[in-house]
Amino acid sequence: MSGWMTVALKEIRDHGRDRRSLMSAALYSFMGPAVILLVAQSSAANKGGAPLLLSMMSVFALVSAFTGGMFLALDATAGERDRGSLVPLLLNPIPSLQLVAGKWVAVAVFAVAGLALNLVGFTAVFEWSRITPPSGTTGPFALWVVCGLLPLALLGAALHILTGAASRTLKDAQARLSIVTLVPMMTGMFLVFFPDTIGRWWFAVPVIGQQALFGEALRGHTVSLLQAGVLALLTLAATAAVVLTAGGVMSRNEAAS
Amino acid sequence: MVEVTDLHMHFGAVRALGGVSFVARDGAITGLLGENGAGKTTTLNIISGLHQPMRGSAALDGGAAGDPLERRRYVGALLDHKGLYPRLTARENVAYFGALRGFSGTELTRRVNRALATVGIESLAERRTHGFSQGERMKVALARAIVHEPKNLILDEPTNGLDVPSARTFKAALSRMRELGVCIVFSSHLIHDVSALCDTVVIIARGRTVAQGEPAAVCRKTGCRTLEEAFMVLTGHEQEASCLAG
Repeated sequence: MSGWMTVALKEIRDHGRDRRSLMSAALYSFMGPAVILLVAQSSAANKGGAPLLLSMMSVFALVSAFTGGMFLALDATAGERDRGSLVPLLLNPIPSLQLVAGKWVAVAVFAVAGLALNLVGFTAVFEWSRITPPSGTTGPFALWVVCGLLPLALLGAALHILTGAASRTLKDAQARLSIVTLVPMMTGMFLVFFPDTIGRWWFAVPVIGQQALFGEALRGHTVSLLQAGVLALLTLAATAAVVLTAGGVMSRNEAAS
Repeated sequence: MVEVTDLHMHFGAVRALGGVSFVARDGAITGLLGENGAGKTTTLNIISGLHQPMRGSAALDGGAAGDPLERRRYVGALLDHKGLYPRLTARENVAYFGALRGFSGTELTRRVNRALATVGIESLAERRTHGFSQGERMKVALARAIVHEPKNLILDEPTNGLDVPSARTFKAALSRMRELGVCIVFSSHLIHDVSALCDTVVIIARGRTVAQGEPAAVCRKTGCRTLEEAFMVLTGHEQEASCLAG
């Protein structure tokens, strides 16, 4: 088994036993559907607020793509340093990039799982509430999930690993990761209330592109496969760049240990 | 065998090493003695492949002098960070490091069982390490460091914080490994530990090797009766050494 796979399997097994963190991540994932369900029961939804609520769903989905693996990322990076297991780990003869890649894979698994829980929650909300997506949007929404959210979860995992690896302490990492998670939230919220600010080229920018893709689908506009494909590819390219940078940071950690 | 030649290392403006050289033989325990900040830990970090020296070399078994990643293949190291994964069992902690060294299946199981037996913690193998005592954690960390059965073992202040029974068990494990032909390099500021365990001592002061040899030979060379006195003389504390001599 290659080094990165050994690291990934260990991290998945280790984090799978951290019941408090898993519970917390699941609550984050279900927070969006719960909020939308509650608001849907209120009078606001009856007064034409349903499209706004649907837009908010996208913001919650963006955030859940970031939060599912956040606790694992903390534990697997700054946590290693905090408990004194980083130096023993670095003494193994495997390159830093493999260590980082293994940790990224594990975080991505939990990030995608958090996203899946969130989407399952929203599907349940559509079943139980008066809010339903406009007809004919199933295809564009599927495109949004596959080309938008899934690559975003991978990018979120990479950003968390980079942020954690670059932090000197667990507390420092917690503060920085909270800020990283605020990025999709703030971006998404802004675009919900000011959707007209989105230019055509914004489809190529990760996070903004995901929200823009969702908005277009919601408004019944045509979303081209090319646009979605470009967004997915650019998000994945950004992911690769961030993972490589995190590998470099881990190498510097070796030198500084 | 570990052959350290003229190691130099700076951290910014601070000179950590300015010429450390020594040879540690197979089947022997070599003790590095020095005051705090003398350069023991930096030397061990270089030998273990964590740092690359700015000048000089650390050759292991006649090779692997240049590449730190390559040096890591030749050593097992227990440096001053000994953290374990608290949600994994002792066995899983050790097996993880064995897997990172490329072992799998029955070979990995055999090596993990042997490492756990060497340090005497078979009975704790299936327990998660959360809540382990300092001594138990140290033994798991040592098992993790020797799971690949290295010919060279590097230990930085390994008995720090251990109670007397744990320290004795630990030293017994080191003696067993020495009998198996392992080259052990061991740093300590506890002269009693070094006198009791080590075949050879290397005294480091202000980043340089100032003496090396069998403890009795170092005493003879300095005209001191004990290793502690010799250490004081060699590290520039002659006045205190004469007080010790009484």
